[in-house]
Amino acid sequence: MTIASIHAPVEDTRDRTNAALGMAIFIGSWAMAFAVLFISFLILRQRQAVWPPVGVTLPSLPLAVAATLTLLGSSFALHRSVSALRRGAPFTSWWTAGLVGGLVFAVLQTWLWADLWAAGTTTFTGGTYESLFYGLTWFHGLHVLCGLGALFLARIGAATGRYGHQRRAFVVNAAVFWHFVDVVWIVLFICFFVP
Amino acid sequence: MSHDGIHPEPTSFWRKHVFSVDHKVIAKQFLWFGLVWLLIGGMMAMMIRWQLANPGEPFPVLGALLFPSTGGVIQPDTYNVLFTMHGTIMIFLGLTPVLIGCFGNYCIPMLIGARDMIVPLLNMLSFWTLMLGGAVGFYSLLVPLGASEAGWTGYPTLSTTVGAPGSGETLWALAVFLIGASSIMGGINYITTIVRLRAPGMTWSRLPLTIWGMFFTAILNVLFLPVIGSAMILLVLDRAFGTQFYVPATMIDGGGGDPILYQHLFWIFGHPEVYILILPAWGFISDFLSFFARKPAFGYRVTVGAMLAVTVLSAVVYGHHMFTTGLSPMLGESFMLLTMIISVPGEILFFNWLHTIWRGSLRLTTPMLFSLGTVFVFGLGGLTGLYLATISTDIFLHDTYFVVGHFHLTMAASSLFGAFAAIYFWMPKMFGRMLDERLGKLHFWATFIPLTIVFCVMFWSGYAGMPRRYYDHTYLEYLRDLQHLNVLTSAAAFLLGAAQLIFAFNFIRSRWWGAKAPTNPWEVGTLDMAVPSPVPYYNFETIPTVVTGPHEFSNPAIPDGKDWIFQTEPLADRAAAPTDPSAQPAASH
Amino acid sequence: MKTLLDALRSRATWRWLGTGALLLMLSPCADAAMLQEAVDLPNRWGPNPSASDYGWRYDELFTLITILISVSFAIMLILLVLPMIRDRARAGHKASFDHGSSLFDKRFTATVSVIVFIVLDAWVLVIAVRDLREGYWNIPTELEGAYRVEVLAQQWSWNFRATGLDGEFGTADDVITINDLTVPQDRPVVFNLTSKDVIHSLYVPDMRMKRDANPGAVNQAWFQPITAGDFAILCAELCGFAHYQMGAQLHVLSPEDFGAWEQDASMIAVAGFDPEDTEAQWAWDWKE
Ligand SMILES: [Cu+2]
Ligand SMILES: [Cu+2]
Repeated sequence: MTIASIHAPVEDTRDRTNAALGMAIFIGSWAMAFAVLFISFLILRQRQAVWPPVGVTLPSLPLAVAATLTLLGSSFALHRSVSALRRGAPFTSWWTAGLVGGLVFAVLQTWLWADLWAAGTTTFTGGTYESLFYGLTWFHGLHVLCGLGALFLARIGAATGRYGHQRRAFVVNAAVFWHFVDVVWIVLFICFFVP
Repeated sequence: MSHDGIHPEPTSFWRKHVFSVDHKVIAKQFLWFGLVWLLIGGMMAMMIRWQLANPGEPFPVLGALLFPSTGGVIQPDTYNVLFTMHGTIMIFLGLTPVLIGCFGNYCIPMLIGARDMIVPLLNMLSFWTLMLGGAVGFYSLLVPLGASEAGWTGYPTLSTTVGAPGSGETLWALAVFLIGASSIMGGINYITTIVRLRAPGMTWSRLPLTIWGMFFTAILNVLFLPVIGSAMILLVLDRAFGTQFYVPATMIDGGGGDPILYQHLFWIFGHPEVYILILPAWGFISDFLSFFARKPAFGYRVTVGAMLAVTVLSAVVYGHHMFTTGLSPMLGESFMLLTMIISVPGEILFFNWLHTIWRGSLRLTTPMLFSLGTVFVFGLGGLTGLYLATISTDIFLHDTYFVVGHFHLTMAASSLFGAFAAIYFWMPKMFGRMLDERLGKLHFWATFIPLTIVFCVMFWSGYAGMPRRYYDHTYLEYLRDLQHLNVLTSAAAFLLGAAQLIFAFNFIRSRWWGAKAPTNPWEVGTLDMAVPSPVPYYNFETIPTVVTGPHEFSNPAIPDGKDWIFQTEPLADRAAAPTDPSAQPAASH
Repeated sequence: MKTLLDALRSRATWRWLGTGALLLMLSPCADAAMLQEAVDLPNRWGPNPSASDYGWRYDELFTLITILISVSFAIMLILLVLPMIRDRARAGHKASFDHGSSLFDKRFTATVSVIVFIVLDAWVLVIAVRDLREGYWNIPTELEGAYRVEVLAQQWSWNFRATGLDGEFGTADDVITINDLTVPQDRPVVFNLTSKDVIHSLYVPDMRMKRDANPGAVNQAWFQPITAGDFAILCAELCGFAHYQMGAQLHVLSPEDFGAWEQDASMIAVAGFDPEDTEAQWAWDWKE
């Protein structure tokens, strides 16, 4: 966007490419932050004699599977929504489905934490497993929050007519960010729930 | 077309000067912000040098105000805070904002022919995030249980609650995270702008080298600031939530967290950070040496290639910071080899710089002096890096003053000189006023000479075995006889500090009362030099069309007997423009 | 030159030089006591001579690198200063026009960088790898007659433990000392290092040795003293507010003196051994 187009009501292909490029660079950049966390996971895990450590209550697998499936569903819904948006077809119902899926994921995730914390596995017990589990999922959780905010803003914008087929860069980017959050969660799931 | 319109300039004070989205205003904000922090960080250096020259004596004047409880004497824990914050401030709050924040913001749209950054709002957000980071960093100095004192490297477990119980260290980590976030925002903006908003005809090979330097810096910023961000998040979790990322379970046999993990993460960021600071300076001086030697930049493509090589290799040499931590011999040897390989692109830059000024027509203006000074100090710093890249000599020199001298020359002095060169060069375009040349030259020599002495004598004390970060080297008998070297370093350092007052005076006076700048004060052809000084709100009335490279100095095809040409002007006979130097009439000697 | 002379002639310059000088006097470096003290104290300009078997490796390589980079720097300086004088802008002087983009220029640059890499880097690299493999990393084992020392660093002191006469760690005759280490001359001294709290670094400048003591892991290092006498041990890694005080003494005794010392020290250790004192039972299984 140049000065003129900051408030431009209509965007052109050039603006969309700009937005896509900016988002791609951001995702590439922020993937580094998660890469560091996963490297830390591998290094710290390899320092442990047994994994997962004995005597630690582990997070509930059914809950985690449910959360994963919800998140995948939510990503899929957003994907359908964006393709509809690109075609100029109605896109809001798929979007709402994706948003609701995201909210359900957030609830399940909170449940997972609360469940585990109540069972006595907390960060303050100071074990490597607890540190990694909470540290990585909390950091991911912050991104879920940001992502939900973006999805919500996009939905509001769609309702008010601010976003639509003619003006969609923000909506597309919100979905891209959500897919990123989704991919990171799958790696997290593999780290903690796949032996 | 939505891309050509010009919006009216905002009129309210807040929109115009504080929450502005104009890249030139944001550049000035970064500049003032950085200069103030350079002053604070510099004062801290003065206190450090005072303590080393006069261990245990009250710091004159300011000491009584800052440390009233001790009558102005710097205590060991205060001393640790001073060098920790000196490093953090100079790197993150001083040099980064001036080099990248200010000149990235000013130069990128101006030199590629754009009206603003691609996302002006993100640009503003980047500055205010930095402001917040600076505020948190400053506040960390005031918290009751003690500011951060684990060094700017913040190695655990000294930086965890094991070694630093106070909340200052947590705030420090948060500040570094915020500053990193600010740099990432800037980086995304810079890359996208350079890729997408170049004026018609501004091909990649017509970009001024300044832009290339900024481009690579921005790439390193977006790739490696997230690394330090994550490392800081883990540190904060360890400190505030009792996790064990960096705190081992037992002292001997593995298990639990790993303090060495932090060192890996820190230096994966830390070594590229050296290039983040030096690449913009390399860009500036690659341009300035050509501008003021009135000769094309020698080997433009090779220079860009060398910068690219450095960028690609920057993260794979980091192990040279960890030769004494217990790397396996195989890793150690690999890092040694890689470090030596990364020196090759550096050498190539030197050939090109020296070749650029060879048989030129050198105008020794202040920006040119600072550029030549950069070549000198970077040469000195780069060559002494050989001792530290070589493991068997690094074992003795690691964590001594030798290292301090080395990285100050390469990272601090070179980028500081680059920043000064840029300030003297672009001040006329940014503020519409010339800096006083005579004071500028005085400032250069009064900085250059003491600076060289300071860091060369530091080499000497490191060579004699003086470890860094020692509050009082006279405490242990082994170092008591190194007092003369420390006094010499300190004396030169005070001169260096005093010399910056010349700059402060010159800058303040010229900013408001200096001579009005002409449109093209240095007779160079980059796009910004074709618009009035100071640059108007919309930068370019019409987006220029570029037809020539930025360095066509002394090209015989330039019409009207000038030795320079605007990038928007065609050479007289482009087809016949000779590129072979042997076809030229010999320079008159 | 001319601009500099012009500047020197102007009143303004002198006014500012004067002010600068005034600032200087106000600035701390005019402290006469400080300078006087520096002159009065004994001065040292370099490290003490090497006292270890492999110390010459450091000294020789340092000298070689110094020669190499001095020559390089001198060449660079000439190429930097010569144009500043010879090619300064003046009436009638024109810059030559050369983009340096011809194939010849590229080949020239490539050739020079290869030469510089070989002379500066590769040469040093080869020597360094040899030194590391023959010296620093060639850690002798117990069977090769190494004298073994376990080092436990803490804020802010060095705990040393040797096996005593029985050659076993963790027994009653272990010789435990604080900030004081006695080792034999002409026998490799091998260290196992770790830390109780934060990272420290065992720095023995006269032996040309340094190695970090990391909590959570055990590091190895060694040297072989070739001179008897007393030497300094310093901490080289920032470890908190008394970092600068964390020194220790190293005593190197001739083989005969050392035998007698070890006998005595072991006996004293057995006599003073207190099985209740768990704090003192920090030995670990030796790590080769
Ligand atoms: Cu490095
Ligand atoms: Cu220590």
